[in-house]
Amino acid sequence: MKALRTFVLTGLLVMASFAVAAKAWAFCGFYVAKADAKLYNQASQVAIAHHDKRTVITMANDFQGDVKDFAVVVPVPVVLKKEQVRVAEAKIIDRLDAFSAPRLVEYFDEDPCDPAYDRNVMPAPTSPSAGAARESSPRRSNMGVTVEAKFTVGEYDILILSAKESDGLETWLIQNGYKIPRGARDLLRPYIRQNLKFFVAKVNLKEFDKAGFANLRPLQISYESPRFMLPIRLGMVNAKAAQDLIVYLLTPNGQAEVTNYRTVKVPSNTEIPTFVKAEFSDFYKSMFQTSYTREGRNVAFLEYAWNMANCDPCSADPLNPEELKQAGVFWLPDPQADAISPQPGPVFRRRPVRSGVFITRLHVRYTRDKFPEDLVFQETNNQEQFQGRYVMRHPFLEKPTCARGENYRRSLPRRFEQEAQTLARLTNWNIQDIRKKLPQMELSRRSWWPSWLGWGDY
Amino acid sequence: MIQDARLYQILFLALFLALGIGTRDWTLHPEVVLVAIATCLLTQAVALHWLAKITPQFALSESVWITYRSPLITALGLSLLLRTEHPGIMAIAAVAAIASKFLLRIHQKHVFNPANFGIVTVLLLTGQSWVSPGQWGEESWYVLLFLGAGGLVLGKVGRWDTSVAFLGSYALLEAARNLYLGWTWDVWLHRLTSGSLLLFALFMITDPRTIPNARGARIFWAGAIALLTFILRNSFFLSTGVFWALFVLAPLTPLLDYLWQAPRFSWLITPAEPKPSPHLPSVSLVPTND
Repeated sequence: MKALRTFVLTGLLVMASFAVAAKAWAFCGFYVAKADAKLYNQASQVAIAHHDKRTVITMANDFQGDVKDFAVVVPVPVVLKKEQVRVAEAKIIDRLDAFSAPRLVEYFDEDPCDPAYDRNVMPAPTSPSAGAARESSPRRSNMGVTVEAKFTVGEYDILILSAKESDGLETWLIQNGYKIPRGARDLLRPYIRQNLKFFVAKVNLKEFDKAGFANLRPLQISYESPRFMLPIRLGMVNAKAAQDLIVYLLTPNGQAEVTNYRTVKVPSNTEIPTFVKAEFSDFYKSMFQTSYTREGRNVAFLEYAWNMANCDPCSADPLNPEELKQAGVFWLPDPQADAISPQPGPVFRRRPVRSGVFITRLHVRYTRDKFPEDLVFQETNNQEQFQGRYVMRHPFLEKPTCARGENYRRSLPRRFEQEAQTLARLTNWNIQDIRKKLPQMELSRRSWWPSWLGWGDY
Repeated sequence: MIQDARLYQILFLALFLALGIGTRDWTLHPEVVLVAIATCLLTQAVALHWLAKITPQFALSESVWITYRSPLITALGLSLLLRTEHPGIMAIAAVAAIASKFLLRIHQKHVFNPANFGIVTVLLLTGQSWVSPGQWGEESWYVLLFLGAGGLVLGKVGRWDTSVAFLGSYALLEAARNLYLGWTWDVWLHRLTSGSLLLFALFMITDPRTIPNARGARIFWAGAIALLTFILRNSFFLSTGVFWALFVLAPLTPLLDYLWQAPRFSWLITPAEPKPSPHLPSVSLVPTND
């Protein structure tokens, strides 16, 4: 028998929970729905591949309403041409999510009376091995608004606007059939004055029907600018409640971090009771909410930071070069170029393929009062790896056949209690409710009362 | 009462370091901090030895132990601000920082702030280190602590005007920008209450041995650093702009000293004492300060 079996429950469970009421793109734009649909934003996902001054942003689109109502305005640093905008495959964000999601790991204690036990002494769940992987021509318009570019990409009609004053832009958008949320004008002004342009996308119904997709696909824009930021202020115009944003930052040399807010690791590598397996999603949500409150509601949480060449344990296969390219990674050598000029020598002497991509998954829950500024990022050379990882150890509950087995068994209540307390601390759940869900076990007559009392005294 | 403000400085920087490690989520390895301290002290010892060898008339004006306060401050400053995974990188920064005090000198004053010089050196040369401007967050109690502690140190060394000039002009510039852009004022406040900015303003640019001697010159100099920081941050989107600004403008100090003649700072004269007369001999020959 193998000493331990490790399972990774898919972290998608967690993410699905965030996406329950999700509309799209809260982070950087506001809806400008054409119909009077009641829209609100709660969660959004965005991937940003960045190196030096080049940035590729992929914005997941989980818009739930009628596609004809979909329209979004996003400030961008430069005028984008048609070739700088593309439609990415929907599954690419799901892949990034699955690869980087917080994970629940389970181990099975083995029979302490098994002779093989000594050789496989219960290993403490290993912590992640830090550093192990080194491995159209402009058209003048009135009101100071210029349509810098206008094109169709996939199922989207794109406009790039520049404006002189927010009043003009607001009026222009309204006159052209976009519904502007109240209060947007005051927020447009700072962006206009910073000389940002506005990327406006709506759905081209003809193309959408022709393509036959059920959902809108992610939009991907690339540009060259020293700005490495994500505008979140506009997204707060039509959302009162806290919004969740998951950012996948892809950089070549190491972790990326937020420079104008603290970047904080989510609690990780803790042992929690086994019943959490059935409610991992609730667990993670409660744990995140508790950490969020504890940290003062104004930090970005680091949920994952890893070299994309590997993972341990993997919640999903690492992305292959083609998928990384899809996700916007632009600095990898072209795999086809490699094929044309194969390296000399036997295959096994070739250097291992290094992905050269480091993923940083940040989870930001933001509200207007705690996040006055847009998010600004920086890439670092920090190769330290981190993952949100929660450990369940299934106890060996068979009847003991040796003294060591008895001891092991007697030690369990204390361990369960510790796990329960950890869980209560992390999630703010009621400790009594947790205790009720702990494994019930029959202890031998000799040890039952002392253990029970010792346990109950906590 | 402690006469030498450097002791306060050591105390406060150590306190911040402990607070940071204890309550903030820093990627700071204890061995890197130890390397910073050890290397700074060792470099100072080697440099003093070398100085004694090449200048026969050399004599320490302070006791041996006092001369090691300054490299300790540098080491703490480096540990607070510079991030790296490799102790070797920190060692390079520490050697560069202390060596710059002895080698890059004009008129008995070192040109660069040692910690700043060390940071910029490894940022430029190694590509294995970084500075995390967001690491402190912006909680108000930190602000108070910084201001309180910084004020005490500044009060001790009588160079508070530099901090005030720097923070004042930077706040004004950011306010003007905020007004022009039409942001709400919480944006402005958020930009100013960054712990890293305050740490810099209170503990780095106030280093009396690398800043101009005359008050007018200091205010001008601090204003220039604020302006450059503002430009680097808002036009070049460099969130670590403040360190580059100090590095670039540090060589202005000798020029400003030439233009504004004033007595040079010495650690062991408290502000309560009367201003030193121009005839008072220079207290120390060696650089003794961070």
